[in-house]
Amino acid sequence: MIPLIYYLAGAIALYIIGMYCLALKRNMIRLVIGIEILLNAVHLSFIAFSAYRNTGYIDPLAHAIVIMSIVLGGCVTAVALTIVTYAYRHYGTLDVRKLRRLKW
Amino acid sequence: MFTEPLDVLLIFMITTPVVGWVAHKKAYRKVQGVYAALGLSITGYFLYELYKEVVKERIIVIGRLPFYPPLEAYLQIDMLSVFMAFIYTVIGLFVVVYSIKYMEHDTGLTGYYTLLLGIVAGMMGVAFAGDFFTLFVFWELMCLTSYALVAFRKQRWEPIEAGFKYIIMSAAGGATILLAMSFLYGMTGTLNFAHLATSLNNATANRWLYITLTLIIIGFGIKAGVVPFHTWLPDAHSAAPSPISALLSGVMVKTGIFGLIRVLILVFAPMQGTWQATLAIFAVLTMFTGNLMALLQDDVKRLLAFSTIANVGYIILGIAIGSLQALTGSLFHILNHAAVKALLFLCAGSFIHQTKTRSLKELAGIRHSMPVTSTIFVIGTLALAGIPPLNFFWSELTIVTAGVKAGMLLFSVLMIGNVAFSAAYCLRLIQIIILKPPTSTSKKAIEAPILMLITTAVLAILCIMIGLHPSPFLAIAEDAAQAALDIQGYINALILG
Repeated sequence: MIPLIYYLAGAIALYIIGMYCLALKRNMIRLVIGIEILLNAVHLSFIAFSAYRNTGYIDPLAHAIVIMSIVLGGCVTAVALTIVTYAYRHYGTLDVRKLRRLKW
Repeated sequence: MFTEPLDVLLIFMITTPVVGWVAHKKAYRKVQGVYAALGLSITGYFLYELYKEVVKERIIVIGRLPFYPPLEAYLQIDMLSVFMAFIYTVIGLFVVVYSIKYMEHDTGLTGYYTLLLGIVAGMMGVAFAGDFFTLFVFWELMCLTSYALVAFRKQRWEPIEAGFKYIIMSAAGGATILLAMSFLYGMTGTLNFAHLATSLNNATANRWLYITLTLIIIGFGIKAGVVPFHTWLPDAHSAAPSPISALLSGVMVKTGIFGLIRVLILVFAPMQGTWQATLAIFAVLTMFTGNLMALLQDDVKRLLAFSTIANVGYIILGIAIGSLQALTGSLFHILNHAAVKALLFLCAGSFIHQTKTRSLKELAGIRHSMPVTSTIFVIGTLALAGIPPLNFFWSELTIVTAGVKAGMLLFSVLMIGNVAFSAAYCLRLIQIIILKPPTSTSKKAIEAPILMLITTAVLAILCIMIGLHPSPFLAIAEDAAQAALDIQGYINALILG
């Protein structure tokens, strides 16, 4: 069996990739995908923990949370994509650098 | 199913679209608003009943299923939850009543009131949650509705930009909290607050606990507007419709603080020294940035948003000091800040409604044309500056004295300096509204409609009342702080009792 720490390393790597994506990408759709990557990092971590928690059966709590989180993540993506659509209608581009009319 | 207040809110939230559809057919424009106000009033009544029950029993558990105990997910209601839920409901009610007039020319009002009830329900659920799972579900309900409300006026560019910034930052914060949850789950096998508190009670601080603590502070800190993570706050608060700004700034920011109070005190008790030091540093950073930036703004709503950040700094300093008196001060400040900031944002909304501008340059001298609203606004501003007979003075005094008693003299001095500093932009606001000669825009304005005046006036009376007679409110805040700090009682009631 693969040790738990590999899965955790994978989850943390995904989390870092997601944060990198949010920090440096300029396309709005990619930012939304970055949010999804972050959530999937968390899902991986939950599922890995639940599988290694007990021998013989898998803990149902983590699975309940992950299913709920997938649903809620879908909702967040839907709202975000709606806003992206409106932004595209206003600006005619998906580049976040063009959305810099707000001051600090 | 849940508790009565939450049930009522959710039922009203689900039925508002039906009412809105009927109202649309009959061409009545204000029915949805009245319906939402009715829902919040009924919620307030049930909450009062719940409060009486909580006074008798200390902690109520609802929806407990006979599972293997550490997997339990339920609602638990103690004094702290009821205290926060009261603030949410009352401010929500004021906001709904104000919106009936303010939003009357907008389209999509059915959706607006549905989302408004949804955000209050989400915040109340966060306050009632007894485990991380419940907290997360209601947290996301609150976040989703607030995204839609910030970007509500989607025809303009500003709400779209601010909404996008907000959604990205807040969703990243939500994912961060979830990652911290998964680590806690991996370490203890449970997400229930009481079971987490027992499992981690004797834990020695290890690397994973430090990582988890960092993630928790970042995740809740994004929602609370703690300084390195605050950049969404001024944009979202100034781009949203004014009643929504009042709701976001007055109460939604406080859910992040509530999450910090609940999770840090219950779960991270063995690492108290670490998080207290961290929060104290964040608190000082937050208040300095908030006050400094508030001084530089020209947009009235942006100014108020930065002052919210500064006040979050005071509240967090109270949590960082950690004694009963300090936490009482923090909770009392949450109450005061909710009332004052709602008042100021609603008054600013009245100015914007009548003049269609947010620039302070153009709003100069508006007291000549809008005397009543200006007077109420000045009362709120004086409260914000911490002038003695008004309510902010008492909560700030409580936090500062608690800091001196706990030996954090330096932080108390810094906070006093900040309070004095915040008086600068408050006086600037008063000077602009009262003393400057009127501009052409402010000359043309007329007094705000009666419904908007009544809502703001009642809030102003509330502020003065708390200021003149703070002891009953302080006593309730102290009860709530006691409930928050009583870890052993909490564990006994939920696991052993």
